Amino acid sequence: MAFGTYKEVVCARSTDKDIQKVSQDGGIVTALFAYALEENIIEGAIVAGDTEDPWKPEPTIALSREDLLAAAGTKYTFSPNAIKIKEAVRQNGLEKIGTVGTPCQIMGLRKMQSYPFSTRFVADKIKLMIGIFCTENFPRDSLRTFIDGKLHSSLAATTKMDIGKGKFWIDTVDGKQGLKIKETHGYEQAGCNICRDLVAKYADVSTGSIGSADGWSTVFPRTEGGNEVFQAAVEAGLIETKPMDEGKFGLELLEKLANNKADKGNAERERRLGLGLPLPQEL
Amino acid sequence: MSEKIVISPTSRQEGHAELIMEVDDEGIVTNGKYFSITPVRGLEKMVTGKAPESAPVLCQRICGVCPVPHTMASAEAMDAALGIEIPKTAALLRELVISASNLNSHAIHHFLVAPDLIPADNVELFKAAVDSVSEIRKTAQYAVDMIAGEGIHPSDIRIGGMARNISELARRKLYARFSALVPKVNAHVELIENLVLEKEFPKGLGVVNAPVFASDIIYGKNDFFDLDRFTEIVPEVWYDDPEVGKRACTTIPLYDGVNVETGPRARLDKFAGYKERGVTAQHLARAREMKTYLSRAIAILDELDTSANTMADFDPRGTGELGVGVVEAPRGTDIHMATVKDGKTQFYSALVPTTWNIPTMGPATEGFHYDWGAHVIRAYDPCLSCATHVMVVDDEDKSVIKNEMVRI
Repeated sequence: MAFGTYKEVVCARSTDKDIQKVSQDGGIVTALFAYALEENIIEGAIVAGDTEDPWKPEPTIALSREDLLAAAGTKYTFSPNAIKIKEAVRQNGLEKIGTVGTPCQIMGLRKMQSYPFSTRFVADKIKLMIGIFCTENFPRDSLRTFIDGKLHSSLAATTKMDIGKGKFWIDTVDGKQGLKIKETHGYEQAGCNICRDLVAKYADVSTGSIGSADGWSTVFPRTEGGNEVFQAAVEAGLIETKPMDEGKFGLELLEKLANNKADKGNAERERRLGLGLPLPQEL
Repeated sequence: MSEKIVISPTSRQEGHAELIMEVDDEGIVTNGKYFSITPVRGLEKMVTGKAPESAPVLCQRICGVCPVPHTMASAEAMDAALGIEIPKTAALLRELVISASNLNSHAIHHFLVAPDLIPADNVELFKAAVDSVSEIRKTAQYAVDMIAGEGIHPSDIRIGGMARNISELARRKLYARFSALVPKVNAHVELIENLVLEKEFPKGLGVVNAPVFASDIIYGKNDFFDLDRFTEIVPEVWYDDPEVGKRACTTIPLYDGVNVETGPRARLDKFAGYKERGVTAQHLARAREMKTYLSRAIAILDELDTSANTMADFDPRGTGELGVGVVEAPRGTDIHMATVKDGKTQFYSALVPTTWNIPTMGPATEGFHYDWGAHVIRAYDPCLSCATHVMVVDDEDKSVIKNEMVRI
């Protein structure tokens, strides 16, 4: 099934103006973590924080709403959040943590929980795992290469990155520029080519822009725990929802893209197997 | 007519050892010999020739009971060998880790000796004692996890200090949990003290006149160990039975030419004026230390500056001078020594607590019925697994010619 296991799928956005201002789309990740922090469901969240270098995210432990707002927005290059989990649990003393990741990162975290090799008493402290939709991810040097070379701009001048309507978009002081997605092919992380998960099937809650209008996010509450937090945040008025558009710019689009990713991943897997290359174990 | 009673391996201790007691017609021990039959460690050889940072990482694997003190002694030895003075906060964090780790380890020993102290038909009391041990261990190990990165193989005790300071939230949590543990530890210590006294070990059991060997009341002091006063002899010379001499797997360390007693009682004897000797005194001293460790841990948490730096900058190339690290492990004084030159460890040696006690423990069984022999041994809480299982290989063709693994 293209979407994995889920309780429901809705269109949602944060009702918080501060979050809306800084968020990528509907601000769901920030809103959920903020609510979970407020309600002591988690004591901290590991998020992709900014560093002095433009577009070089670093795993950061957010302990407050302010910390979360500072880290809001999608970075199209990896923030290895898993690396920070041990430190969060150990020296930072967090016993209930939230974390956000791409589908592959979420899969890694679930593996970590299934067999906590060298993460005993660590992996079990993750109480809220939010997955973000992902078509592919770029090494920072790739971003730099095509932003410099193909869009004639720079990482430093870029204020927002986005993928939508078949293009990779950057916002700069000079306005918005788009690059056809196929122009970015070959620049993605090598592992993306064998990935078959667009919608972060193993997360507690997954979210992303595909299938929803601008300023809104598509949300799949998946696990009991994830659903509980999401519904409570909705009930508390922090997140507003509306039914998903089932049509060709809504769920249909998401399904098509999710299947495309799975098909491409399978094809690449076949190719690699044919060459006698090893493939990673999946859940 | 004398007879030989052999306990092999001695039980409810870490590692494998043998106790041979020669007894008279009444069963009274006239000559006791205790020796390790756990094969030789190889850690000293493994770390030689490697970067100094390898030593604490490898040496913590000497044993799963004392990974923390071994890491600490190794880091201390390397700090000294590299001429590093660690930040004050790092020193406090290290002492906090040792306090928590030793508190945990003493609790484990109470689990091991509970069957000696509690009548077999008193299941309720046994369960209460084990629960009490578990409760203390849980909190103590939680602290080691948090400060040192891992409870078993601590990743964050580093040459130059500690990898990270703890956060203010972590400090507050630990302070609250350790404070809440005080009444539990007090009750536990009282329980153990009463059980030991009710056991009514024969007066004088286990009393030896070996000098005490201890560097500090809690953490350990590097300048305590004077290499000139230390000698090491082979077991063939020490034991009067050539067969035992051949089978014994540790050398015999002597200080000022004689064997010593190290451990909780030795520490209290030297630093707290506790002059009782023997099995009862050793149990009571160990129990009493649990309170000392806990109150020191709370005091450190109270004064800890969580924003302070915990790592010193250092030059890993080394000076070639001998660095000595001395840490008071649960079972006694743990000494690691190292020299580093051109960025590589040139010499490494570990003199671990039970090695010091081994020559003292056998004679301590003398003068009483052999039934008490095992009690005398367990009062020292021996831990022999500073030895790993080693297979002898032929140096020429690297083949395994003799499997030296102990089988029980």
